Amino acid sequence: MNSLDQDERQEPSDGEYVVSSRNGCPDHFRLLVQRYQRPLFAYLSSRLGNQLEAEEVAQESFVRAFLSLKKLRKPESFYAWLMGIAGRVLKEQFRATERRQKDRAIAETLLAEDSGSAPEYPLEEAIAVLPESNRQVILLRYYEGLSCQEVATRLGMPLGTVTKTLSRAYALLRQELKARESAEATVK
Amino acid sequence: MNTTSMNCAECRDNQIACLEGLLEAEPSRQFQAHLESCAACRAEYAAMSRLQERLAARGRVAAEVSLVEPVMRAVRQKQIEPERTTLMSILLKNRWGFGLGAAASAAAVFLVIALSAPNAQAKAADVMAKGARAIAKLSSIHLRGQLRTLPADNFSYIDANSAFYPIELWKQFPPEPKWRIEKPGRIIVMDGVQTVMYIKPAKEAVKIPQPTPSAFDTDWLHRIANLSDTINNELRLAQAQGWKLDLAEETAADGRVKSIVTVHAKCGLPENDYARNKFFHNADTRRVYRFDAQSERLEAVQIYMVQGASEVQVFDLSQIDYDQPIDPSVWQLNLPSDVSWYKEPQKLPDNQKYASMAAEEAAQAFFEACAKGDWAETGKFMSPVNQRLKDYLGGLEIVSLGKPFTSQGYPGQFVPYEIKLKDGTVKKHNLAVRKDNPAGRWQVDGGI
Repeated sequence: MNSLDQDERQEPSDGEYVVSSRNGCPDHFRLLVQRYQRPLFAYLSSRLGNQLEAEEVAQESFVRAFLSLKKLRKPESFYAWLMGIAGRVLKEQFRATERRQKDRAIAETLLAEDSGSAPEYPLEEAIAVLPESNRQVILLRYYEGLSCQEVATRLGMPLGTVTKTLSRAYALLRQELKARESAEATVK
Repeated sequence: MNTTSMNCAECRDNQIACLEGLLEAEPSRQFQAHLESCAACRAEYAAMSRLQERLAARGRVAAEVSLVEPVMRAVRQKQIEPERTTLMSILLKNRWGFGLGAAASAAAVFLVIALSAPNAQAKAADVMAKGARAIAKLSSIHLRGQLRTLPADNFSYIDANSAFYPIELWKQFPPEPKWRIEKPGRIIVMDGVQTVMYIKPAKEAVKIPQPTPSAFDTDWLHRIANLSDTINNELRLAQAQGWKLDLAEETAADGRVKSIVTVHAKCGLPENDYARNKFFHNADTRRVYRFDAQSERLEAVQIYMVQGASEVQVFDLSQIDYDQPIDPSVWQLNLPSDVSWYKEPQKLPDNQKYASMAAEEAAQAFFEACAKGDWAETGKFMSPVNQRLKDYLGGLEIVSLGKPFTSQGYPGQFVPYEIKLKDGTVKKHNLAVRKDNPAGRWQVDGGI
C-alpha cells in the first residue's frame, strides 16, 4: 500500500482502509482504530467527564462502526461517520442512565462555573469536518504527539508542506469552531 | 511598517512555523518585530496560539488511551465469519422462534434447516429448543477432546496430517466468568482479572491485562461451550452462504435417542490460498453435533476437514461435564522464573527506517540480524527474543529469499525463505510477517 494518492500521502487514506476492511481484510480496521482512538476518546472524555466511561463508549462506537462498515456510503468520511455513531452511543448511554445524565448536567454546570470556559468537545467535532489531508496532519501532530519533522517523515512530504497544511487546518478549524460556538450561543 | 520586519502576508505565512519553533533567528526576529507593530496580526497570532494550546491539551488527555486491542478483540468476536455459524446459534434462534412465537425468526429457521420430513423437523426443533433452555442455565462447563494440531502451535491451528493431541476447556459462566484452555504445549488462563497465555517449549508468555470472554484464537472452542451470546448474525450468515444443515435422529445401543445436527461450513477461501486448511476458520468443515434426546444436552462434537471429496476428522469432543465444581487451582498459572514476556512493538527513534521496509526487506534484515547475533536488532522484528531463539537462529546463513505473497486469511504477508542453520540443517519455509501494530513495523508472526 505504498502508492501515493493525489495528496502525495504515503499512508493509505481512510477510504482505502474502509474498503479493504470490508473486502476481506477486517484487520485493516485496526489501523482505523489506531488513527482515530485518541480524538474519539478525547471527545467522549470531554462529553462524559469520565475516562473509564469514555473508553467504554469509544470501544462500543468502534465495534458498531465495524459491524456497519458496509453501510458507509462515503468511505472517505469515516471519521465524521464514526463521530455520528459515537454521538448515538452517547445518547443511549445518557438515556439508559438518567441519573448519570443529571449528575453530568450538574457537573458540567459546576465545571463551567469554575472555569468560565466552553467545553472542549466541539474541537473533535470540528476536526471531523476537515479535509482528510488537513485532519491527518492535525491528528499526527497533536493526538499522536509527533513533531512537525516527524509528521513530514511519516507522510513523506517536505516540512514546508506540513506547516502549510497545518496553517490551512488551523484556519478551517477556527472558522468551524466560530460557526459552532455562535450557533450554540444562538440556541442558548 | 519596519523595513526589516515582515509584511502581514509574510507574517501569516510564518505563524505556524513560529508557533512550532521552526523559524531561524533572523526570520523569528522579523516576525516578532511585525507583531509588535501590527495589532491585527498580533490578535491573529494570539488566536492561533490559543488553538494550538487547546489541541495540545486534547492530545495530552488522550495520550495514554489504547483501544486497539480491546476493540479488535470485540470485533473479532462479533465479526461475521464462517466459523461462527455454530449449532448454538441455531438452537437459541429456534428457542425464540418456536418458544416465543416470533414468526419471522421461525420462518428464517425453516429456510435454513431443510429437513425431508415435516414431523422430524418439528420434533428436532422442539428438542433443540429444550436443549437450548437446558444449557442456558449452566454455571460451568468442562470440555475434554482431542485435536489434530501441533502441541505448541496456535489454538486454532489444525493439521490433517498431524496426530491427535488432547485439548481441554474449563469455563465458569457469569457472575464470575473465568476460563482455561490447555493443550500439551500451550495454556491460557483467564482468572477474572487478566488473560495470560503461556507457550511451554519457548517459555514465552503473553498477557492481556484484563478479563476476556475469549482470546488467542480460541473462539472456535468457546463457541461450542458458550451458550448465550452472539447469535443474531450467525443464522443470517448461514442463510446468506446457503450452507447445508442436516438434522437426523438415531437410536444408540442402549436405546437412547440421539439428535444429530450436521453443519456443512464453507470457509470461502480460494482452493490455492496458502492459509487454507491451516486454521479452523480457513477450512471447509463438516461439524457433527450430537444431543441426547432425554437429557436435552449436547453430548459430543466431531469436526471434519473437507478437502474435495475426502475428509479427515480433526476434532473429537466426547467428554462434556456440565455444572461440575471446578478446582480453584484451574485458574492458577504457574510460570517459570525465566519466562519471556511478549511486548507489543513501540515506535523507535528511527522507526521510519523500519516502517518503510517492504516485507522482503524486513525478512532479510531479520535474518541478517540473527546471522550476526545482533539480538537488539532482531528484537525490532520479533518479541520476545529468548535464548531458545538465539540458539536456534544465531549464526544462520541466508540461502535465498523469495517474492512475498499474501493470503485472504491472513492480514500480513508470507516471505518464502531458505536458510542454513549453524548445525548445517537447511530450512525452507515461509516467514509470516505483519505490520498492523502501533509502530507500523513488520513483525515476525510465524513460520520459523
